[in-house]
Amino acid sequence: MLLFRLIGPLLLLLAAVVPARAGGLLVFAASSMKPALDEIVALPETKAIAGITISYGASSALARQIEAGAPADVFISADLEWMDWLQQRDHIAAATRFVLARNELVLVAPAASKLEFTLDAKTDLRGALGDSRLALAEPGSVPAGKYAKASFEKLGLWPQVETRYVATENVRAALALATRGEAPLAAVYRSDAVSEPGVRVVAAFPASSHPPISYPAAALKDRDSAATKQWLALLQGPEARTILRRWGFRDAASD
Amino acid sequence: MLSAAESTALAISLKVALLSIVVALPFALALGLALSRLRFPGKSVLEALLNLPLVLPPVVTGYALLLLFGRNGAIGAWLGTFGIQFAFHWSGAVVAAVIMSFPLLVISIRAGFDGVDRRLEAAAESLGAGPWRRFLSITLPLSRRSVLAGCVLAFARAFGEFGATISFVGSIPGETRTLSIAIWELLNQPGGETGLGRLVWVALLVGVAASLFAALLGRRSQANGAAHD
Repeated sequence: MLLFRLIGPLLLLLAAVVPARAGGLLVFAASSMKPALDEIVALPETKAIAGITISYGASSALARQIEAGAPADVFISADLEWMDWLQQRDHIAAATRFVLARNELVLVAPAASKLEFTLDAKTDLRGALGDSRLALAEPGSVPAGKYAKASFEKLGLWPQVETRYVATENVRAALALATRGEAPLAAVYRSDAVSEPGVRVVAAFPASSHPPISYPAAALKDRDSAATKQWLALLQGPEARTILRRWGFRDAASD
Repeated sequence: MLSAAESTALAISLKVALLSIVVALPFALALGLALSRLRFPGKSVLEALLNLPLVLPPVVTGYALLLLFGRNGAIGAWLGTFGIQFAFHWSGAVVAAVIMSFPLLVISIRAGFDGVDRRLEAAAESLGAGPWRRFLSITLPLSRRSVLAGCVLAFARAFGEFGATISFVGSIPGETRTLSIAIWELLNQPGGETGLGRLVWVALLVGVAASLFAALLGRRSQANGAAHD
């Protein structure tokens, strides 16, 4: 059959256009780290170690891909839960695990907004929202949304928010709603607010009102080569820390 | 069995998908007829525009909807003056479903109209039937299978719609949180697998039921058609 005669050449063609990844490291990282990590990867010190390819995505999707056998060398998660999930399944080299950075949760408003308040038990969020909704990442599953919900609950504000929020696919989409003026308020990370001139930080969520927002990093099991370890060490070095701070992240040791 | 939140999500999905067909069908019939029977300037541009939702990533379509129909959007602000608001409301999910499934509906309906023997329409005209009568008694009945197939395709597309919906109206439990969005949320939760399995079965059942329903209707209309011939 013609089909079978075609398969051989087709496979050869495929092999030619899809080269196996040459030598470099493949890093799976949470999307929110993108601006900072792109800069760290462009450092000459990184280039001296190995070529690095980063695949950005939601921590949940990346963790499930790793569990399914994705050939990643390093995983950088936006929350502890998914790193723990992989560790329980014995997919990471536990000895290499460390907290790369921390983040802060803030409420942002469109740049032109006049809203001004601090977040505590007496905050009138309903009044601030008017007839619109507060944008936050899906509070059942997306880390930024989980932190926001925990914080609102701790402050006793959740009853005000519960029926007045709109959940988005990720924290970036919540940010976009505030930037576009569709939502008068959005709960996002400080690092997201830093990179978006269309919004203004109105108030920070008290750090004590939610679990610490940590970005754990680790080499994956049997992938802790010398190059991988070298790059992980570089991530903890002063240059990487400066870059992370510039993008709104905080040092891992800061609290 | 399904939890209350899960059956609500299913109900929203069914409501949105069915309603989107009801809303889209008159427009799709009119456009399908125009594309099939008329020649007019800009026809190929219109066809290209029509197919855009098939080509673009759904999240892009959703974002475009937000820009157009959001409360600050070009059309949204204008509709807002009449008190019509799609953003963050379940009717916005219907808008997203209509846009996403419209090309499938029109392509299918147009193919049906293309296949109708024009001489039958001409004969009806010579016997004094007006355009409406010709359409309702000749063109539409003869292309019913394509129309039906289009509706099933559109229903499937609307029922499974995720990207445009979540970008445009977000996920609000009991309002815009559809079955697809609920499934996606469970996929993002460690330990969400049990609920996930349930909902995937529900989605499968709805899909199979829709296909069976279409096959059944198709067979019946075929039998009726044979009786008339």
